[in-house]
Amino acid sequence: MNRIPISFRLNGVARSLEVEPNDTLLDVLRDRLGIKSPKCGCDRGDCGACTVLLDGKSVRSCLVLAAEVDGYDVATLEGVSEKPSELQRRLARRNSFQCGYCAPGVVMAATELLGGNPHPSREQIQIALAGNLCRCTGYTPIVDAIESLQNSAADGPTAPALPYRAPNGEESKVVGHSVERVDSWEKVTGAARFADDLEFGPGLLHACIVESPHAHARIVSIDTREAEKVSGVVKVATGKDFPFRFGLYMKDRHIFAADRVRFVGEQVAAVIACDAKTAQRAAELVRVEYEPLPAVFDPVKALQDDAPLLHKELGGYEHVQWFFPKAGSNIAHWRKIRKGDVEKGFGEADLILEDTYTVPRYAHCAIEPHAMTGLLDAAGRLTMWTASQSPYTQRNVIAQALAGLGLSHKDIRVVTPYVGGGFGGKAGVSCEIMAAALATVVKGSPVKVMWSRAQEFYNTYQRQGLTAKIKLGVKKDGSITALEHTLYWDAGAYVEYGANVVNAVGLSATGPYKIDNVKIDSVCVYTNLPPGGPYRGFGYSEFFFGLESHMTRAARKLGLDPVAFRLQNAIREGDVLAYGAHMNPNGLVEAIDKTAAAIGWGKKETPSDPAKAIGKSLVLFWKAPAMPPNAGSSAFLKFNEDASLNILISGMEIGQGLLTAMAQIASEVLTVPVSKIRVETPDTDRNPYEWQTVASHVTWGCGNAVQRAAVDAREQIFDVVERALHVDKGTLYLEDEKVKCRTRPEFALPLRDFVINGIEVEDHTYRGGPILGRGMFMPEFSSAIGDPETGQGGHPNVHYTTGAGGLVVEIDRETGKTKVLKAALAVDVGKAINPDLIHGQVTGGLLQGLATVLYEDMRFDEHGCLLNPSFADYKIPTTLDVPEKVIPLIIETAQPDGPYGARGMGEHTMIPAAAMVADAVEDAIGLRAHSMPITAEKIVLEQMKK
Amino acid sequence: MPHRGLEAEVTVMPITCEFEYHRPKELSRALELLVRGGERAAVLAGGTDLLVWMKEGLHAPTLLVDVKAIADLHRLRRQGDALFIGAAVTFSELIESTVVREQLPLLWECSRTVASVGIRNRATLVGNICSAVPSLDGAPALLAYEAKITVAGGSGGREIPVREWFLGPRKTTLRTGEVATGVLVPLPPAKSGACYVKLGRYRGEDLAQVGLGILVLPHDEYRLAFCAVAPAPARATRIEQLLSGKSLSDSLIRQAKELVSEEIRPITDIRATKEYRLHMARVMLERGLKAAVARRDGNGHSIPAYGESVI
Repeated sequence: MNRIPISFRLNGVARSLEVEPNDTLLDVLRDRLGIKSPKCGCDRGDCGACTVLLDGKSVRSCLVLAAEVDGYDVATLEGVSEKPSELQRRLARRNSFQCGYCAPGVVMAATELLGGNPHPSREQIQIALAGNLCRCTGYTPIVDAIESLQNSAADGPTAPALPYRAPNGEESKVVGHSVERVDSWEKVTGAARFADDLEFGPGLLHACIVESPHAHARIVSIDTREAEKVSGVVKVATGKDFPFRFGLYMKDRHIFAADRVRFVGEQVAAVIACDAKTAQRAAELVRVEYEPLPAVFDPVKALQDDAPLLHKELGGYEHVQWFFPKAGSNIAHWRKIRKGDVEKGFGEADLILEDTYTVPRYAHCAIEPHAMTGLLDAAGRLTMWTASQSPYTQRNVIAQALAGLGLSHKDIRVVTPYVGGGFGGKAGVSCEIMAAALATVVKGSPVKVMWSRAQEFYNTYQRQGLTAKIKLGVKKDGSITALEHTLYWDAGAYVEYGANVVNAVGLSATGPYKIDNVKIDSVCVYTNLPPGGPYRGFGYSEFFFGLESHMTRAARKLGLDPVAFRLQNAIREGDVLAYGAHMNPNGLVEAIDKTAAAIGWGKKETPSDPAKAIGKSLVLFWKAPAMPPNAGSSAFLKFNEDASLNILISGMEIGQGLLTAMAQIASEVLTVPVSKIRVETPDTDRNPYEWQTVASHVTWGCGNAVQRAAVDAREQIFDVVERALHVDKGTLYLEDEKVKCRTRPEFALPLRDFVINGIEVEDHTYRGGPILGRGMFMPEFSSAIGDPETGQGGHPNVHYTTGAGGLVVEIDRETGKTKVLKAALAVDVGKAINPDLIHGQVTGGLLQGLATVLYEDMRFDEHGCLLNPSFADYKIPTTLDVPEKVIPLIIETAQPDGPYGARGMGEHTMIPAAAMVADAVEDAIGLRAHSMPITAEKIVLEQMKK
Repeated sequence: MPHRGLEAEVTVMPITCEFEYHRPKELSRALELLVRGGERAAVLAGGTDLLVWMKEGLHAPTLLVDVKAIADLHRLRRQGDALFIGAAVTFSELIESTVVREQLPLLWECSRTVASVGIRNRATLVGNICSAVPSLDGAPALLAYEAKITVAGGSGGREIPVREWFLGPRKTTLRTGEVATGVLVPLPPAKSGACYVKLGRYRGEDLAQVGLGILVLPHDEYRLAFCAVAPAPARATRIEQLLSGKSLSDSLIRQAKELVSEEIRPITDIRATKEYRLHMARVMLERGLKAAVARRDGNGHSIPAYGESVI
């Protein structure tokens, strides 16, 4: 192809270069000109992350050829940020963004809008941003910030402060306050770097993955010769190069398929070439011969005797000791809970309600795709740059998987910058293993694997499908006598992570209710669909759809008010859990009361239009962190000369605001303002250990570690002051970045005077030295081991976070369309470290949950091929699809072992959504859904059947 | 790239096909290039469909003719009793045009439903009808206004009534070597009303599962056209004949709804079932007719503003 010379203005500067005709503007900006703010989110114009302005008009730079911009003005966020706008300041101060991957596109789209219309209406703002997908925020904080530009007073965070009150009555100054996120400014200016933004120089190689078109087949042969002949191809690798199994909880996967593929899209080979286009073209020349095998896609069918067996070797797989696979079947794990006597319980019941509920698979849809680069240097060190929630777990899993190549933990380094949304999809190790393995066959060259949006859908973890059978016994007076809950999970072809979702649900499938007689069977079943795995809510969203639907139905059948019924049976502190341990302190009752008040429970509302109907619902939720009993967190905290701080942790900033919460905790202890604290994203060579950023546990676990590190630093500070200045340590305290003394009011020693260089004493020598805090946390009361047949005896969950969600919907009977008029969610966070960030989690998580029940789902054809691997047909919400009103309600019943009493809440905001909609739909039009999603179409077609 | 059936074994992302890129300033030069490229040549306007197809490997042209530098194709101006819309005019330009907004509200309304701002700033109406996917939002309005497509070719130009334009999914009457230079849209009399009703899975950007454009002229002349419910968009002539000359009543609407199943041939696909499409086409017909008539007559207490969805 002839290269084409082009000249254009980039952020006001004339640029000339030669491009290939098939280069897109996005490629050229990012790869040739170092302009990294436009992001690749879908590469087909659906997501808006690559938005730039062309002669002032917003365009998708992935759908513009570079050749087309000859003679034009191109503006990117880099240019806008040269003179930051009030728009950017508002978005930053109001904590509008979370992960920030969509931020450059949003800022550019808003810049275009405000350029032509300085006073847009709310609807105009929503329309202008409707093409910019954001998975974190629920959009409202972004739209609010832009709308606030009309009002000079409306600057700053919006949630009211909830200070922490210490036992001595003192109120916290930072914890409980809605400070600006420490990463806001980096994100609104486009400075924040993500894994795909990192530069590796001209030696960077690109890998393209060859994938299985069959759901189940034997690999007969792989012919790579034609691909190897292509100029620019460096290496073609197949499963034979890496005969190693890997996995987080169960080692049941190969890096590349060995002799058998088990889902459509499974990786079979990789072509490594000098550029992505060559790798792509050569990959099309790899010839793989398959012998198709019978496949199974439904977990219940996969349990039948004649079902194809996916893993003949199951009995030999290495796994954690709390899994119970059944060799010779498709059952990878079976979690059983037996408490009390269910037969006796059902005998006492006046109502026994039995039904089955089904939940399809769902996709995380973080706007940032997985991006991973591996480099095995000449000395044998493997460095991985990944978009990950789990850098240390990645190092561990990679070290275990590649031990056969002589690599050990100290030889492996994982570097993880900002993550553009996770939601569980970037937990553990999925496609990253390929970049690690491929690096070993091209020693000395970095090799990059960039997942396409389609691959994001069909070859990363998916949320597992579920078929749940529920049998509930209730007395006329409303007391629950027994629950039998049987859950068949469509766990996919490999369950190395997903089996623990099944386990977690098995422990907790009673929901937050006190039930004396319980029988739970949570069964993890192999199917020929992509591997299941963690997704925000970790199985709880799935089982609560059935359980909370069932609770409402049982109450209504007995003529009881569903909220009163829930209050009667709600679990209280000290109650015995299904596996025998005791319930932690919680504010569930307060959450129910506040949610009921927020949605006007009990008040019937009449729609303005007779073709429409209004319905309400109120459901409960709970969730415990699902983690190994000994999951640890640690933190280093180091002072700089001016008494500013760097905190080193390996908890990940995935949008939830962890870095800000950690800065606030350290600030509270050390009185250094948050604006003087940097919290560093991890490099496993440098930052200390964190198990993973999953399970809504890092505010609690990592927060404890940071608090301990700050206290450790404070102790060092007091020690040195005592040694150098002979002041009794017991009288010292910190205030306004100074050491002060309770008995000597005039004493005030600024931290900046000594935290690096020590304190000079009479003889002009010095005491002290650089202050370096160290903190570690691991729960020491947790055990995963109970009786395999009953689940009794262990203490597998550290605590539960509880709450309630309420909804008011309006349904158009003719079209089936559901409009959310009001959504309230109360969550007992223990202590809100930053109320604004809690509001952000509620607004974003609720919308993500509502979408799973109103329109999202993954559809597979009869061959197991995913039919909707794009945002064109897997619809995630836009600015136009938000509830009319979201009411976040913060409940604070302290978690005794949490930092300032805090516990996690990130996943919980999504969990109740499905049942909220299902119950509200029934309340409005009398239709009870037994399967998700509850689309407009389903509402219409089900009504027609009546 | 999603697996297409069971044949494709590789995911596609970058554009890997190789082609020559040209951006002529003269229409005559564009035509020369198109003749030279023959069947493997493609016209590039907004590129919002074409580039996606190239990335997905559905289209691999060897020669791309970018027509955006041809000044005439940016024309948006009155030509007698019609509006000429050049092939390079974007949906955003149509939305911003006073003539379109005031005199061709059906076109204005459907343009607002196309994708999102970042696409509408690039995508063109003529490109939309050249892509000719069955769900195209641009077609019902052009069918209702009885627009003509102006085509240039080596052997001279021709004008094609839009109702003869669509042959099937992604198929039009445009021949190799030709380029659509614009559409000529007759301006209806002042006293008319319109409504574009689009069924999507939610309020945000979506491809139409049913699209219905309704134009109501003085003396109760009704023009209706559907998209997304047949291989090609088309006028609903039986319903038009039923309604012709009559003022709307509940019984007339009921009769019209009964004819819907004779007018459209919806299919079940990933986006919607046949049954739901048929049901919604009837609901959309009723609500759209009422809205269009109310907008024409300007009476009634709750007239939905143009741009406001009636479903």
